[in-house]
Amino acid sequence: MANALLSLNVATRTVNSGSNAVTLLDKINLQVKEGEFISLMGPSGSGKSTLLNCIGMLDSFTGGGYTFLGEPVHSMKEKNRSKLYKEYIGFVFQAYHLIDELTVWENIETPLLYKNVKSSERKALVADMLDRFNIVGKKNLFPIQLSGGQQQLVGIARALIGKPKLILADEPTGNLNSKQSTEIMELFSQLNKEGVTIIQATHSEHNASYGSRIINLLDGRIVSE
Amino acid sequence: MIFNYIKIAFRSLLKNKGYSFLNIFGLAIGITCASLIFLWVEDELSFNESFAKQDEVYYVPTNQNYEGEWRTFYSTPGPLAQDMLDEIPGIVKATRSSSEERLFAVGDNSITRRGRYADADFLDIFSLKFIEGNREDAFVNPEAIVLTQEIAEQLFGKDEKALGKVVRVSNKDNYLVTGVIENLPKNVSFPFSWVAPFERYSEGAQWMTEYGSNFSDTFVELSPEANFETVDAQVRALIGKKADFTDDYAFLHSIKDWHLRSKFEGGEIVGGRISYVRLFMIIAFIILLIACINFMNLSTARSEKRANEVGVRKAMGSSRSRLITQFISEALILAFIAAVFSVLLLALLLPQFNLIIEKDLSLGLTNPIHIVVLLGIAIICGVFAGLYPAFYLSSFKPVEVLKGLKVTHGSASFIRKGLVVGQFTISIVFIIFTILVYQQIQFAKNRELGYDKDQLLSMRIDRDFIPKFDLIQQELIRTGSVHNATLCNSKILSSGNNGSGFRWKGGTDTEDVLLSFRNVTQSFFETTGMEIIEGRGFSNNVEADSAYVLVSESLAKMMGDENPIGNIISRGEDNMEIIGVVKDYVYGDMFDSSDPVLFLHYPNYARFMFIKTKDGVPVDQALSDIEAVLKKHNPAYPFEYTFVDEAFNAKFKNEQLVGELSQIFAMLAILISCLGLFGLAAYTAEQRSKEIGVRKVLGASVSGIVKLLSKDFLKLVGISILISIPIAWYAAYNWLQDYAYRIEINWWIFVVAGVLAIVIALATVSFQAVKAAIANPVDSLKTE
Repeated sequence: MANALLSLNVATRTVNSGSNAVTLLDKINLQVKEGEFISLMGPSGSGKSTLLNCIGMLDSFTGGGYTFLGEPVHSMKEKNRSKLYKEYIGFVFQAYHLIDELTVWENIETPLLYKNVKSSERKALVADMLDRFNIVGKKNLFPIQLSGGQQQLVGIARALIGKPKLILADEPTGNLNSKQSTEIMELFSQLNKEGVTIIQATHSEHNASYGSRIINLLDGRIVSE
Repeated sequence: MIFNYIKIAFRSLLKNKGYSFLNIFGLAIGITCASLIFLWVEDELSFNESFAKQDEVYYVPTNQNYEGEWRTFYSTPGPLAQDMLDEIPGIVKATRSSSEERLFAVGDNSITRRGRYADADFLDIFSLKFIEGNREDAFVNPEAIVLTQEIAEQLFGKDEKALGKVVRVSNKDNYLVTGVIENLPKNVSFPFSWVAPFERYSEGAQWMTEYGSNFSDTFVELSPEANFETVDAQVRALIGKKADFTDDYAFLHSIKDWHLRSKFEGGEIVGGRISYVRLFMIIAFIILLIACINFMNLSTARSEKRANEVGVRKAMGSSRSRLITQFISEALILAFIAAVFSVLLLALLLPQFNLIIEKDLSLGLTNPIHIVVLLGIAIICGVFAGLYPAFYLSSFKPVEVLKGLKVTHGSASFIRKGLVVGQFTISIVFIIFTILVYQQIQFAKNRELGYDKDQLLSMRIDRDFIPKFDLIQQELIRTGSVHNATLCNSKILSSGNNGSGFRWKGGTDTEDVLLSFRNVTQSFFETTGMEIIEGRGFSNNVEADSAYVLVSESLAKMMGDENPIGNIISRGEDNMEIIGVVKDYVYGDMFDSSDPVLFLHYPNYARFMFIKTKDGVPVDQALSDIEAVLKKHNPAYPFEYTFVDEAFNAKFKNEQLVGELSQIFAMLAILISCLGLFGLAAYTAEQRSKEIGVRKVLGASVSGIVKLLSKDFLKLVGISILISIPIAWYAAYNWLQDYAYRIEINWWIFVVAGVLAIVIALATVSFQAVKAAIANPVDSLKTE
């Protein structure tokens, strides 16, 4: 039996919009084990992105409990939380969100800088990653010089460089054509097989099917699994 | 990590060339400006520092009471120096001294130089450095003279030794060179080219050895152990002890204050040039502030472009403090680039600046202090300008910015507007001040002087010239180029040569009045164009006129007599009958009313000749005619002259300096502010491009859109005008209080400054506004 990676216990997220409190996530209960590949599905506004952001600790639940690797995230201080996600979580974005002023190499290197990894070690790690993704030849290019698929590849490489236990991907193929899409999803499958836990949000049934588990959201609630 | 910041900063600079240019250029101008001021201040603060004894040397001015008011003079009674040395234990050296201009000749070589007659202690007090001869026995010979290297080389040539040689002074006396000293640097309060024993000047005159008349400077040196307060108290009591008939008293004025704190009012130091030093320091910081504001504004205005990066970096695990460090490092890098640029600008501008301030400042990049200050300015600017954008940008929440939500601008745009208002307020204050300073100078220049300063030459003469004057005058007039000539004991624009102790019928015996003496020839009023408003002028007989005087209008008024003609003015045993009243004329302080004047027909004391050239005669011709006459009758003297109107203009040097600098700084402040405004307008236009597109599609005209975009900025300039008016008025009012003769502050100045600011701002903004307005809406609507 694989270890539990995270668990949500009646986790809720509300925001105040004017005088009304709007509930974005409503009493979510969810257990994720290491090695799972989960696809979150649901229409726009159903809370997929919010859930990913909250799990990724960029955002936080306003109610309920959130345990990550046995640690109670909901009662943690910002600093510790940041330490936790820096260590264990990688993000992949729909719009890639590479830093335009940095080369491919430097983009991939960035998370290591924030983890204070030594220079020589960084070099080795980034070189490995470039090698693995077959983008060594592009290491000195800037994001603007790459195609969308290539950019997303760099995005994933950047997410993986810190050896995270969990990858959160918000519509990772939303800006890509179907061929590029397939390549990226194949890559996710491969990574998952190598033991990385993945949670992706997607609109596409086809992409969702790469996952080992599909969760449907509607109006901030889990409606089916 | 820092390497990463530097890399990204440079790439970001290169990517946004226009933005980088605005930022770096603005900051570079600011740093250049501040550096120029700091160089000037450094020079001002370094005055007299070349003299080794900074803590022990003092000038001894006297306070004298006239018409109930204490006035301060550098002239002291002759015996004061010796008495201070004898009776005040803390004083170890003292000298009398008098600054004089003399003609020096060796063979055919002749030059005029200002120097000092003084006692031997003078050489010690000022620690003069001897190149030839030595300090101890330089003044043993009563006919000695010590020359600076410069004048020695002029007279004897570069390679010749001057020591032991004879130099002829004023075409009558021989002096023996007993020493050559190093040249004095430019930044001394009282420059001199030679020093000679005081006895040679006083020639044993009785009145120079008594209390009662003040004529020589006194310098003293205190022992290092002496307590200033104790010694100063004794100095203050000394004259009263020695001469019970006067309430004059002397006091100590430190060498460190000679240059910057030498303005006296009511017998106390009230400041001096130090107020200009402070004013310009404040201006330097204000200009830097304006430049920093630009940086802040441009950085926060383009925050949207950076927001995404902030989001990504935070998601990658960056803490806020790391982002703050990153943004401040970027600002620092920019500031350093600006500093490098400003060094180039400084090298380019310094010669011009030197011309304006009449100094010889150098960049001094080998001076570690200069480098440290420059780096300091860059660091302070970088950190200060980077701080707010850093905190603002790093506060973005990754969830929001990564989703592409618009960054809310509430506080940032309010602060940005505030900063623009701040910049323009400062600029407008500068404009107003510039106009006012200009007006005040013109006002004083155009005031009724009481004489005609045009076509009037002033020449220094020596005593041997005086007997020849009548002949020279006739020959000058005969050339046809000269209207008339006269002799006088004082330059026409200068104060000095004054005295007190006068009594007249109907005057009080308690209040003393300080009168200036002008010992003149008969032709004085005719030559200078001064007007005799009552009575008559002098006759052509000096002896017959010996008991007659003319007085200035203000003196006549002071005497209160309805008909001053025939009234007797007496001083001691001398009685003088008033035969005429001369219209008041302005001398000394051009911004104040001048002391009353007593004119005596006594050319023997003359030290200057004035020559009025004829109307319509070209200056060159008049000068060559005059030179021919003087060469004939006075061949030993070089033909040296000044034009009184030029000397008059030179009297406004300080005000002119303030005026010109405030003009330059006003222009730079506006330039920097406009760079910022230009950038802001560009970003606003960019931000609102979609709105503009929609409006155009809906039928808005180009002019309507230009108006729409310019309106907001003009509102800010309007607010700036409102804020700046009271500030400028207050500053100008205070500045004008220094001048007795001053302008009223006119309301139209504020209007002019306001309109100017609006026009400049409009020109800056409308370029961007027009560009945005004529853009094809299809392009802007297609995006997103």
